[in-house]
Amino acid sequence: MLEPQIKVMLIDDHPMVQDGLIACFSYYDDIIVVGRCNDGSTALAEAQLCRPDVILMDISMPGMNGIEATEIITEQLKDTKVLIFSMHDNAEFVTNAIQAGASGYILKNTSSTEVYQAIKEISLGRPYFSSALAKVLATNPVQHKNERLTNREQVILSHIARGKSSKEVASILDISSRTVEAHRRNIKAKLHLDSLAELVRYAVDHGLIDMDLE
Amino acid sequence: MPLSFRMMLIAIIQVILTAIFTYTFVTDEYRTLSQQNLATLEKFLIEQKQQELRNYTSLGLAAIDNETHNSLTQKQADTLVVELTQKLLYGEDGYFFVYDNKGNNIALPKDLERQGENFWDFENSKGEKTIQILTNNAINGGGFHRYEWLQPSTNTTTEKLSYSLYHDDWKWMLGTGVYLDSVNQQLENVKGQIDKHVNRTKRIILFIALSSIFAIFMFGLVVSLSQKKQSDDKITELGQRVIIAQEEQSRHISRELHDGIVQILISVKYALEATGLSINRSKIDKPKPLVDAEHNLETAITEIRRISHHLHPRILDELGLSDAIEALSVEFSERTGIAVVVHKMTLRKLLPDDISTTLYRVVQESLINIDKHAQAHHVEIHLSMVDNWLTLGVKDDGIGFDTQAVQGNKDAGIGLRNLAERVEYHLGLFMIKSKPGKGSSIIAKIPRSAFANHFNRNENSHDANTDKLS
Repeated sequence: MLEPQIKVMLIDDHPMVQDGLIACFSYYDDIIVVGRCNDGSTALAEAQLCRPDVILMDISMPGMNGIEATEIITEQLKDTKVLIFSMHDNAEFVTNAIQAGASGYILKNTSSTEVYQAIKEISLGRPYFSSALAKVLATNPVQHKNERLTNREQVILSHIARGKSSKEVASILDISSRTVEAHRRNIKAKLHLDSLAELVRYAVDHGLIDMDLE
Repeated sequence: MPLSFRMMLIAIIQVILTAIFTYTFVTDEYRTLSQQNLATLEKFLIEQKQQELRNYTSLGLAAIDNETHNSLTQKQADTLVVELTQKLLYGEDGYFFVYDNKGNNIALPKDLERQGENFWDFENSKGEKTIQILTNNAINGGGFHRYEWLQPSTNTTTEKLSYSLYHDDWKWMLGTGVYLDSVNQQLENVKGQIDKHVNRTKRIILFIALSSIFAIFMFGLVVSLSQKKQSDDKITELGQRVIIAQEEQSRHISRELHDGIVQILISVKYALEATGLSINRSKIDKPKPLVDAEHNLETAITEIRRISHHLHPRILDELGLSDAIEALSVEFSERTGIAVVVHKMTLRKLLPDDISTTLYRVVQESLINIDKHAQAHHVEIHLSMVDNWLTLGVKDDGIGFDTQAVQGNKDAGIGLRNLAERVEYHLGLFMIKSKPGKGSSIIAKIPRSAFANHFNRNENSHDANTDKLS
């Protein structure tokens, strides 16, 4: 019992699934569930309170989905690792989850033993993917050249395109200006654009913002 | 028969009836009126002639009276009056005639051959004894008579009106007359003109009636065409609403299955596993029914997920169109062996649900068609902004087809036509380009105005959710 326990938080819109998992975890001494939450949009506030080592995150949830929530949580809580825990087994979900900052991805139909293993691996700073996903990932290797913007980056781009400064964006999203600046650099790199004017034009051209409404 | 046609028919019948009524009424009135006019005119013309004749006869008698005085014998006077009447000619057929009271002609200056003959018993075609009537008129102080006589200028027997007076001293009946052919001619002219008017009226009525019928017909045609267009548009819109409602329902059921039932089953699965772990602690092997239950549960979950995915791909809602198309393509490649390359958009979730579902269905349908007919090896799917249009292109290197023939063929073209209608419902454009042997490409375009700012509206609704929950 000297071994430090891994603090786990469950984010899933189904309390029954959470209950089932907690029942299973109770058989493992080195895992403790410190928090639970029913949707993505309240996850950050909850996580900031209970400071988990690992978050078990569902994807399909009402309001903000798990991938968007992962982006915001990994952006804010550097010490917290996110393990996606979902029914979705497409490579696209895995790719998006990794891009959003998730450290691992397991399917909801994996055995509790594997869930336990995954949590252990993730807490040690190693990525973990369901064995069932191995085949999917083998045929569709995760591409790091992926240059699509994340949901978070798109939110920031649309604020910038509306003429908001990094400081203003930071205050709207309740994050630091440095984080906004970092996103801004990533956006420019991904879009191969340099100037603010080009960013604005890109956002308008793609219907991200509507000039007629501004 | 459509309502507009019945209305048109009623209107046309009404126009025809009105035209016939107007025509009979107007021409009838016209004829009655003109007959009255003709009678009046004739009376007037005759009266005019009578006045003239009375004057001429008085003048002639005065002139003759002036030349013949009492010293002359009857014979000398007769000879003189012959000479005088030869001089007293007027107009073409105007002359004076003189008879004694026994009907012996004394002077007939335009018909010298018959001059001097006795006309006392001369009868016209009506059986009237002309000279006796004229003589009686004269003896009674002068009077008019209408009869038939030889007209010198035409040498034909025509109607003549004469006035005669009596010279008491020489026992002469003296008179002059006019041939009425000029009057009749004048009346005929007037009658002809009236007929011309009637004919003109007839033509005008006919023209108005025909042009009214034409106008009604054109109006009816325009109305029925626009009604047809309107009802066609309504049917198309209704069809699209039905499709949208269906998609919405499918999405709802899919969500219920995936997020409801499947999650409950998963919770059962972990409950069973917890039971298994508990049993394990007691160093007893898992009972077989428990193993079977776990296995069957697995099957049930897979099966329900398959149904849910078939109804509506959740990936479309969670990750947006690009990733949903990518997933669809991977699935398609694994099943058919046809390679698919997807060029995604750099931005995500720009489209409202109904538009992204429509474009997803375009890709799905296109891939099904490619698998069935194209014999293609490669498919390329592009999703990009071109000018102000979000453009989706699905291109294959298959055998291609004759687009005209497929669109003309009711059964073959129905899938494509449905796609076109769905895209057009979102103000988009749908195009098929293909030639036999040259592959084919399907292009769907959605104007930016149909989705501009959707991403932000959606984000804000997240925030609204957050506010509600926190």
